[in-house]
Amino acid sequence: MATAAAVKSPPEEEKVMTKKKIIIDTDPGIGLVLLLPSLPPPSFFPFLVFFVTDDAPRACIADDAMAIFVALRSPELEVIGLTTIFGNVYTTLATRNALHLLETVGRTDIPVAEGSPVTIKKATKLRIASFVHGSDGLGNQNFPPPNGKAIDQSAAAFLVEQANLYPGQVTVVALGPLTNLALAIELDHSFPKKIGQIVILGGAYSVNGNVNPAAEANIFGDPDAADIVFTSGADILAVGINITHQVVFSDTDRKKLEQSDSKYARYLCKILGLYYDYHMDAYSTKGVYLHDPTTVLAAVDPSLMTYTEGVVRVQTVGITKGLTIFDNTKKRYGEITEWTGKPTVKVAVTVDAPAVVELIMKRLTTDD
Amino acid sequence: MGSNEQIHRDKVIIDTDPGIDDSMTILMAFRAPTVEIIGLTTIFGNVSTQNATKNALLLCERAGHPEVPVAEGSPEPLKGGEPRVADFVHGSDGLGNLFLPAPTTKKVDESAAEFMVNKVSQFPGEVFVLALGPLTNVALAIKRDSSFASKVKKIVVLGGAFFTAGNVNPAAEANIYGDPDAADVVFTSGADIDVVGINITTQVCLTDEDLLELRNSKGKHAQFLCDMCKFYRDWHAKSDGFHGIFLHDPVSFTALVHPEYFTFKKGVVRVETEGICTGHTLMDQGLKRWNSENPWSGYKPISVAWTVDVPKVLAFVKKLLMAP
Repeated sequence: MATAAAVKSPPEEEKVMTKKKIIIDTDPGIGLVLLLPSLPPPSFFPFLVFFVTDDAPRACIADDAMAIFVALRSPELEVIGLTTIFGNVYTTLATRNALHLLETVGRTDIPVAEGSPVTIKKATKLRIASFVHGSDGLGNQNFPPPNGKAIDQSAAAFLVEQANLYPGQVTVVALGPLTNLALAIELDHSFPKKIGQIVILGGAYSVNGNVNPAAEANIFGDPDAADIVFTSGADILAVGINITHQVVFSDTDRKKLEQSDSKYARYLCKILGLYYDYHMDAYSTKGVYLHDPTTVLAAVDPSLMTYTEGVVRVQTVGITKGLTIFDNTKKRYGEITEWTGKPTVKVAVTVDAPAVVELIMKRLTTDD
Repeated sequence: MGSNEQIHRDKVIIDTDPGIDDSMTILMAFRAPTVEIIGLTTIFGNVSTQNATKNALLLCERAGHPEVPVAEGSPEPLKGGEPRVADFVHGSDGLGNLFLPAPTTKKVDESAAEFMVNKVSQFPGEVFVLALGPLTNVALAIKRDSSFASKVKKIVVLGGAFFTAGNVNPAAEANIYGDPDAADVVFTSGADIDVVGINITTQVCLTDEDLLELRNSKGKHAQFLCDMCKFYRDWHAKSDGFHGIFLHDPVSFTALVHPEYFTFKKGVVRVETEGICTGHTLMDQGLKRWNSENPWSGYKPISVAWTVDVPKVLAFVKKLLMAP
């Protein structure tokens, strides 16, 4: 991706090699957008496109923040932008959180584009997961307001623009509800073909959900948008909670993180407390699930997971609203089904959890 | 096995849509020494309800039990409308297109739901219902008599696909899909329920070799069953690329007689009744404490079959099928 390298701006990595340009769509909670190179380079130069992050309460931001930091610290990636979405917090707060996080680590060169405040069907009664992430999405730390501002473009417009600028080269890591991506698809029908890959944190495949027994939170946040994205024909990799629930950041890991004096580790330790409390209460686990950072690493190194391919549809009504149903397309049904003939996506089925935790730790405990 | 006087026999009503594997199960159940079939009730599914009644009468005759009452069930699901009939699986007559002559016996006057309510009231805490088709009749019995759920000993349901793909479409299994509203009524009724989904039943099958062994056996109904199974077997070959047959209904019957061949997990099960996932069975495994009420909250958990001892189930099924 020499061309991509020429256009991008992040200055830190001088050896300009092919890095994946990523955009993180996040609900900081926080999200990241990454640009990923299509060719495996001898050495990488990261193109962080952007995250779509959601304005989740503070506890959520811990997960998102960790993911964004991991992306920023991954030489394989160039974060070219963050886009924000509701989810962990309201979209406006997600934007503030995203700006705050970038300022905290001195990466104000990365643009933040604010996403939709409502679902694709214009629903405003959103489920905001503040009990998970704290009322500011950053673990109730009450950080000062950021100095910077979001760019004038909407998240969807930014996604479309970047996909057109770098066709086939931009990876979007979507860490919140999929509204912005669905809007990008509505805005530009060629978006699914032009975007490189969409790595989605979302869904519960053959396991219970985390909002209720049927639904995982990000898909539940906007099931209509999710169904549009999953059936859009884009190159999609879905990482569900059946995967992320295997990746636990233990108390021991947290203590290790506390001993590091990297700016990333110091910041994260400040906001992790509430997230730990929630997990203890809900799951009786002494540790936290690393949903968002794990998903970022799926973009960094796909070999950390194994995948299966098939059609994913999302239930948009009823008591199982937000349910993700996977069809491996191998079984021949007697009749045409709602899954028949739809484009396939990749769904993660196994993860090397120790390797993921180790890599996250490595990236977070060292400074730039 | 000892004589019948010494053995406690469980009273069982089989609610059924015969159906090839239903027929196998009914003929098996009549040979099982620990079971007393006190009636068959019929439902649409593999065939129309009317044809199911005809087939049930035929099967009782063939089994040498023309005295067993057959009560006809609902011709349509709770919501009304044309029922879905899987004649491409079981043949247009439901019995592998053998087109047998009409039965000489007649159905009883009671409806299936009335029959169930009456029997369960007559023998409270003693009657098992083995539900092999859509759950319309059982739901109607529950709606008819609010004490039905507590008086029935146990309802063993063949239905659902738990954390696995369905067989009608990726979301739904055929029996539940046949009447999702009824299934949701039954699963949330508070009755003692064991449910056996296709995640379990598709682990137990008769291969072409097994079918040949059955044909060459001295089993009283072996020839009849093998003739009937041909259509069913050919459909499996086409649909699943599998040369043999799944034993959905016989496995559920085994779960009633020998629950110890299975392990079960308890959880609240709800059925989706709208949208593309209509008929999906969703069980709360209870792994997480929910921070707010959801559609699963407050219902009595039921037992969902989780693992199966395949060799033991197969041996039990084969023994009954090959009994001279």
